[in-house]
Amino acid sequence: MKQSNTIIKTHYKREDNIAAYLMLSPWIFGFVLMWLLPMIISIYYSFTDFNLLNEPTFIGLKNYIRAFTEDKTFYKALGVTFTYVLILVPLRLAFALFIAMLLNKKHKGLGIYRTLYYVPSIIGGSIAVSVVWKQMFGNQGVIMSLLNALGMEQKVSLLGNTNTALGVIILMGVWQFGSSMLIFLSALKQIPYSLYESAMVDGAKPWKVFSKITLPMLTPTIFFNLILQIINGFRVFTESYVITDGGPLDSTLSYVLYLYRRAFTFFDMGYSCALAWILVAIIGIFTLFLFKTQNSWVHYEAGRE
Amino acid sequence: MKKNLKKVLAVLLAGTMSLSLAACSTGKSTESNQTTNTTGENTSEGEAKEDTSTSQDEITIKIAWWGSQTRHELTQKVLDLYTQTHPNIKFETSPSGWDGYFDKLSTQTASGSMPDIVQMDYLYLTTYAKNNSVTNLQEFIDDGTIDVSNIDENLLNTGKIDDKMTGLVLSSSMLSVGYNPSVFVEAGIEEPSAEWTWSDFIKLNEQIYEKTGKYGASLDSAADTNLFNYWVRQHGFSLFSDDNKSLGYEDDKILEDYITMWSNLMEKDAVPNPDEFAQIATLGQEAGPVVTGDAAMIIEWNNYASKVSTVNDKIKMVTPPLSQDSDAKGLWLKPGMFFSVAETSNVKKEAAEFINWFINSEEANDILMAERGTPVSSVIRQHMIDGGQMTDQQAAMFDAIDSAIELAGETPAPDPVGMSEVNEAFKNAANSVYYGQKSVADAAATFREEANAILARNNQ
Repeated sequence: MKQSNTIIKTHYKREDNIAAYLMLSPWIFGFVLMWLLPMIISIYYSFTDFNLLNEPTFIGLKNYIRAFTEDKTFYKALGVTFTYVLILVPLRLAFALFIAMLLNKKHKGLGIYRTLYYVPSIIGGSIAVSVVWKQMFGNQGVIMSLLNALGMEQKVSLLGNTNTALGVIILMGVWQFGSSMLIFLSALKQIPYSLYESAMVDGAKPWKVFSKITLPMLTPTIFFNLILQIINGFRVFTESYVITDGGPLDSTLSYVLYLYRRAFTFFDMGYSCALAWILVAIIGIFTLFLFKTQNSWVHYEAGRE
Repeated sequence: MKKNLKKVLAVLLAGTMSLSLAACSTGKSTESNQTTNTTGENTSEGEAKEDTSTSQDEITIKIAWWGSQTRHELTQKVLDLYTQTHPNIKFETSPSGWDGYFDKLSTQTASGSMPDIVQMDYLYLTTYAKNNSVTNLQEFIDDGTIDVSNIDENLLNTGKIDDKMTGLVLSSSMLSVGYNPSVFVEAGIEEPSAEWTWSDFIKLNEQIYEKTGKYGASLDSAADTNLFNYWVRQHGFSLFSDDNKSLGYEDDKILEDYITMWSNLMEKDAVPNPDEFAQIATLGQEAGPVVTGDAAMIIEWNNYASKVSTVNDKIKMVTPPLSQDSDAKGLWLKPGMFFSVAETSNVKKEAAEFINWFINSEEANDILMAERGTPVSSVIRQHMIDGGQMTDQQAAMFDAIDSAIELAGETPAPDPVGMSEVNEAFKNAANSVYYGQKSVADAAATFREEANAILARNNQ
C-alpha cells in the first residue's frame, strides 16, 4: 500500500516536472545554446591557435603565457579597466546612495524623479546614447563650446586628450547609477523607523544617524551592489567601442574591447578566448576576496540562517 | 496548468515549423544549383532567354560590399538590372561603410554564413585565402564563365595567392591627391602640378592656412600604412621584406621624417590633429572638408573625385608629391578591390556569371560609372572614353592612370597576414608623437619592434 502510494506520488511529480521543464524550455534552450555551449567551446579554443577561419590546433598554454609575458597591450588594457572599475564603482555607489536618500523623503512627484533617475541605467549602455556622448564631448560638441565660453579654450577635446578621455567614459558610467539607486531605495525603506525615532529622542546629529544607523543597516545592500557593479565594470565595452574606439593612444582601451579586437579584427580567436578566461579569473578573485572580507564589515540584522 | 502546457506546445510547434521552413529553403537553393548549369551560358543576353529562365527555381545570391551612399545606390541599380534580365536571380544585399565591414565579415565567415559574393580588399585577401574561406575562381576562368582576356595580366594576378585565383580584381587605383580648386583660388595660390615635391606640399599647406585659416590637407596620416608605403618606396625600399617576416626598410629615419613632417604641420594648424580628424571622420567622405571647401587637399585613391562627384563635381586630382632627393618610383597600381566568392557558397557558378557580367558588360559599367575606380577591362575603359558619358572627374581619373603609369613601379606583393595589426601599431606609433608622448626616434623604434613581432608571428 505504502509503496503504490509513493509510485503515484512520483508519477504525479514527474508530470509536474515535465510541465515545468516545458515552460522553462525556451530559457533552457537559450541558456545551453547561447551561453553554456559557447562557454565550454571557448575554453577549448583558448588552448588552440584558432583564427576564426582555420581548423584549430592545440597549442597548450601558449596563449596564456603569451598574454603575461609578451603582450604589452594586454597590460595596458588591464590597467585601463582597473582604473575604470576602481574609480567608477565607488563613485556610482556613492551617487546612487545619495540620490536614494533624497528620494526616500516624502516629496511631491517622487515617482517621476525615481523614473527619471532610473532611465539612464536602462538606456545609458546603448549605442545611441554613446553616440550622443561622443558628439557632446567631441571636438565641436556642446561641452567644448561651453569650456571655450568659460575661457578654458583647449586645442584638443576632452575625448581626444589622453588624460581626460577615460574620465568622460567613467562619467558616463557614473551617470548610469539608477539600478543601484533603486536597490538602495528599497533597502532604505526596510530600515525600521523605530531606530531613527530612538536616535532622535537621544538627540543624535544627522551625520551620527547616518553613520551609526543608516550605513550599518545598509551594508548588506552595499555589499550586493558592490559585487554587482564590480562585475559590470570589468565588462565595460560599448562606451569605449563607440565613443573613442579605445583611443586616443589606447587610453580608453577596455579589456573587453581589446579582447574583441583580438578576435574579430586581428583574427586571433584562440588568444582572445584565453583573454576572456583570464578576465573570468580576475572577476572571480575579486568577488572571492570581497566575500572573505564581508564578515568584518557587513552587518546582518539578526536571523542570519 | 493544461492551458499553459498548450501554449508552450504551440510555441514549440511554431518554432519547429519555422525551422523546417528554413530547411526547405536551403534545400531548394541547392537543388536549383544543379539544374541551372543549363541556363549558365546566357550571361549577358539574358533578355532573349527570359522565358526559359522564369521557369527556373529562384536563386538568391547574397552579396556584401562597403562604400559610400553613391556606391550603394549605383550597385543596387546594377543588381536590379541583372534581376530584370535574369528573373530567376535575386540578390540579398548587405551594403555598409568601411568601418565594421570586416569585423562583420569575419564573424559571418566563422559561423559559416559568409555572403556568396563579398567585396574584398587587398588588406585582407591573404588572410581569407590562406584559410580557404574564399573559393578558387580559376575553374570559372578556365571554363570561360569569367572572361579575363581584356584584363592586364599583372593586375589580374594580384588576386592570385598560392596559385589560386582567390579574388577577381574589379578596378585599379593609385594614391592621388584630390583638391578643391576654389580653396586655392581663395588663397590666391596656384594649383599643384604633377611635378610637385614634398617640400612644395608642405609650403602649400602652410600658405593655405595662413591665407584662409583652412586646413591644407585634411587626412589621417596614421590611419593605415598606404601613404607611408608610398613614402618608403620613394626612398627605394619596400615596406615589407620579401618573406613578409619583417619590415623591408633598414633606416628608422625614413619613418622619423614622415612623422616629423606631419607633426610639424599639425603644430602649425595646417592639417588636423588626430582629435580634430576623428571629428571630421564622423562626417563621412561626402560631407568632408575638401568637398565642402573647408580644406584644400586630401591624399586618397584616384577614384576620390568620382566618388564624391554627386555632391561636388569641381574636385580635381593630381599625382602625389614626388621626392626631392630620389627618383625611385613610389607609386604603384593598386588593385582597387576584389570580388571573392565564399567557399561555402552553394551558388558559385551563378556568382561567377554575375561577376563576369559586372566586369565585362557595357550596360553594368554604364551605370557603375567607374565609381569603384578605373575598370579593369581595357574594352570597357575604351567604351567609357568613347561613350562621352563621363564627367570631367572620370575623364581625369582615366587620364591620371595613364600618366601615372609612367611614375608607377612594381606592384607590391599582397599585404602580409597580420596587416591590420601592423596598421594598428603604426597608428599608435605616429599618434604617440602627435600627442607629444614620445620622441620621434622612440616611436619609430617602437613601430619596428612591434611590426616585426607581428609579422614574425603571423607569417611563419
